[in-house]
Formats: sequence, structure tokens, C-alpha cells
Amino acid sequence: MAIRHTHPAVNLRAISRAFGAAPALSRITFRVERGETVFVRGPNGAGKSTLLRIIATAISPTAGTGEVLGFDLLAGREEIRRRTELVSHRTRLYEDLTALENLRFAAVIHGVNPGCASAAVEEVGLAHVAGERVRGFSQGMRQRLALARAMLRAPELFLLDEPYAGLDGQAKELVDRLVVGAQRDGRTVLVVTHDATRTHLATRIVVMRAGRLYSPAPVVGAEAAQP
Amino acid sequence: MTFALQALAVAGKDLRIEVRGRHALGVVLPFACTQLIAFGLSFGPDRSLVAQTAPALLWLAVFFASVLTFRGAYEAEGEDGALEGLLLAPVDKGAVFIGKAGAVTAQLLSLEVAIVLLTGALFGVTMTGDVPRLVATLMLGTVGLVSVGSLFGVLTEAARAREAVFPLLVLPLTTPVLIASIRATALIQAGNPADAGSWLGLLAAFDAVFLLAGVTLFGHLLED
Repeated sequence: MAIRHTHPAVNLRAISRAFGAAPALSRITFRVERGETVFVRGPNGAGKSTLLRIIATAISPTAGTGEVLGFDLLAGREEIRRRTELVSHRTRLYEDLTALENLRFAAVIHGVNPGCASAAVEEVGLAHVAGERVRGFSQGMRQRLALARAMLRAPELFLLDEPYAGLDGQAKELVDRLVVGAQRDGRTVLVVTHDATRTHLATRIVVMRAGRLYSPAPVVGAEAAQP
Repeated sequence: MTFALQALAVAGKDLRIEVRGRHALGVVLPFACTQLIAFGLSFGPDRSLVAQTAPALLWLAVFFASVLTFRGAYEAEGEDGALEGLLLAPVDKGAVFIGKAGAVTAQLLSLEVAIVLLTGALFGVTMTGDVPRLVATLMLGTVGLVSVGSLFGVLTEAARAREAVFPLLVLPLTTPVLIASIRATALIQAGNPADAGSWLGLLAAFDAVFLLAGVTLFGHLLED
């Protein structure tokens, strides 16, 4: 079912974030319309993950204001969390739970039917290890499971932080399917990635460097704009 | 209903992780036993002194066991950013607190059975004079320790101060629980269980206040 709303998906104004004395983001102004698929590129330490974590409300900005899906970044945190899904390189899995138990737990706390967990495990090709503890999983398998968890829900805004890192070709296609499926449903996707081979999925590419945003970079020839 | 389901899911998850990790059995119980044996040896052969101090020794063993158990309960949340998953989930953070506190309470009560039996065996004291009141003391005292520990235990994973914050906040706040629990246990052991009522009342009031505080404040402590 396509999503239609009036507010932009992301609307940040002069957002800054520092960790101690070190600035990570400097007065970022960034707008993403509903239904867009925006790829954020840039070197390590550019502030890409920090930007995504601020949008997901995992951390707060030290300065600036903004709204996500029409809700204020601070006052509307719970509303934003209800409508967004952050998939990051930290998979947020419990090592001593099995793959299926991890997904069932995630389903319960997200208010989703836990019965969907089996199908999600199958979808990412982990049905054969569904009853095994995550502790024995490789990083790629963990990331697949994190993707399965994201697939349990149908958030309005997907935030993917380096979703292709450490994945084999088959698993990368899973991420692509997630992105394309979200696009088809009119959902908004924000992807932080170093993987230049996936940028064809983007409707817009922006570039970050030293905590600043350089945008919009055109999709065609965007690689030339890379720092 | 959702609150209860979410709390049960968190408690179930924590207990499952505990059973598989065997933290309580492999770390906490041996630590508590060693502590009790060391206390017993330090008092020498004076049985009357040991009998007088047995309730305090029992609760000190429970207290130190609880500190280790809180740490264990939050260790799994620190692995691979799981705590951030709870923060970002649209779950009632009060339910997360109740679930975590419930799981730690269940672990500690199981440990306390062993600690009470060991205290009786090592120090030659019997605490079975008024079993219902002893059980009530153990439960109320444990919930008091757990409500404070589960509330501030999250800081060991979430805050920058980490190691320092937990003892600085938890040790002073749990002192009233320890005093009331020790006094109630001593009165029950001495054969005056009726006099323990006021201490049990104090424990119940403390538990109610800190459980309510936990439900209300836990979400704020989780935030960045």
C-alpha cells in the first residue's frame, strides 16, 4: 500500500553534533521528501552514521532543530521510533538467543505477530540455522538476520547504515530487494554506503565530508563528485 | 495487556540468556559461597558471635550477589548494541524495566535458597522459625535491591561514567533495604517475628517507591 503524507520524511535545520570536544556534524541542513531513496556517501569519519543515528533518534543533536516524518526530533521521539527502522553494522542481536528467538523477541517488542519470524528467517536464507544461537554466526549471517528483523515491520522510513558491508553477492541482493520493495510501496529509504555499485538504486546521492553535507549531487556522474 | 506482554517478553529473554550463559550458577553462587565461608572463618570458633551476625552476613552475601547479577543482566544488552535496539523499539520502557527487574528477582530468589541453606549449615543457625515471614523478608528485600539495581544498572551500559555511577548511586540507595532486611531477619531468627512487621512495612514502602520510580525514569536513563 503506497504511503502519502504531506510532511517531508526528513527535515533537518542547522543540526550539529559533537562527541566531547570533537565535532561530528557541523550545521547540517538536509531535507528528504517522502518516497525518495537517498544514498549518503563519503569517507570514514565524515559523520554519515551520526547523521543517520540522529534521524533515528538514537542520539540527540547538540544544536539545531528538525522533524522526521513531521515529528520533532526531540519531542516526537517515540512517534519517530514507531515509524522508522535503523539497520546498522551493529546488529543489536542477542548472542545467546537463537536466530528465531531473536526475531520473535523483536516482533513482540515491535508489536508485530511473532508468527512472522519463521517466514522472515526463511526469506533471508537462514532457515537451516533458525534454531542455532547467534554466537556461532558469521558477521554476514548476523547482518542477514538483522535484515530479517527489519523485514518484520513496514516502517515509513528505512535507515540503512552500511548495509552492504561484509555481505556476499546473494545477501547484497537481499538488501537491494528491501530497498526496491520499500521504493515500490512509496516508503523513504536513506542509505549510508561505501558501495558504489549500488548507487543505481538511489533517486538522489548526497556526499558528506568532515561533518558537512554537499548536496544534491546528481545521480548521473555522482561518482565524480566523490571526495 | 501490551505492557504485561512486553515485560514478560523481556523477562523471558533475560532468563533464557541467563540459563544458557550460566552466569548465576557459574559466577554468582560460587562468589557468594566463598564470601560466606570467609566470613565464617574470620569469626573463629565463637558460635554465639557468628549466630548474632548471621543475618547481616546472609544479606551481605545477597547484596554482593545482586550487584554481580545486575551486571550480568546488562552485559547481554551491551553486546552488539542490543540496548540501542530496546531504546529505538516502540516499546514501553517501563515494561522493559519491569521485565529486567523480574528476571533478576527470579535469579536472586533462586540463589537465596542456596545462600540461606549455606548460612544455616556454616553458622549453625536455624531460620525456619517463621517461614512465611522469612520468605516475605527475602522477597521484599530482594525486590528492593533489584528495583534500585535494575534502574541504575542500565547506566553501566548507557552512560559515559559507567563503572563509577553504579556504585555511587546504588550503594547509598540500597542501604535502607539492607538495614531493614537485616533487622527483620534477625528478629525472625531470634524468635520475635511479630516485631519484624514494621521493618517489612518499610521494605514494602521502599519497593513501591522504587518500582514506580523505575517505571517512570528508566526510559530517561536509556536516552543519549
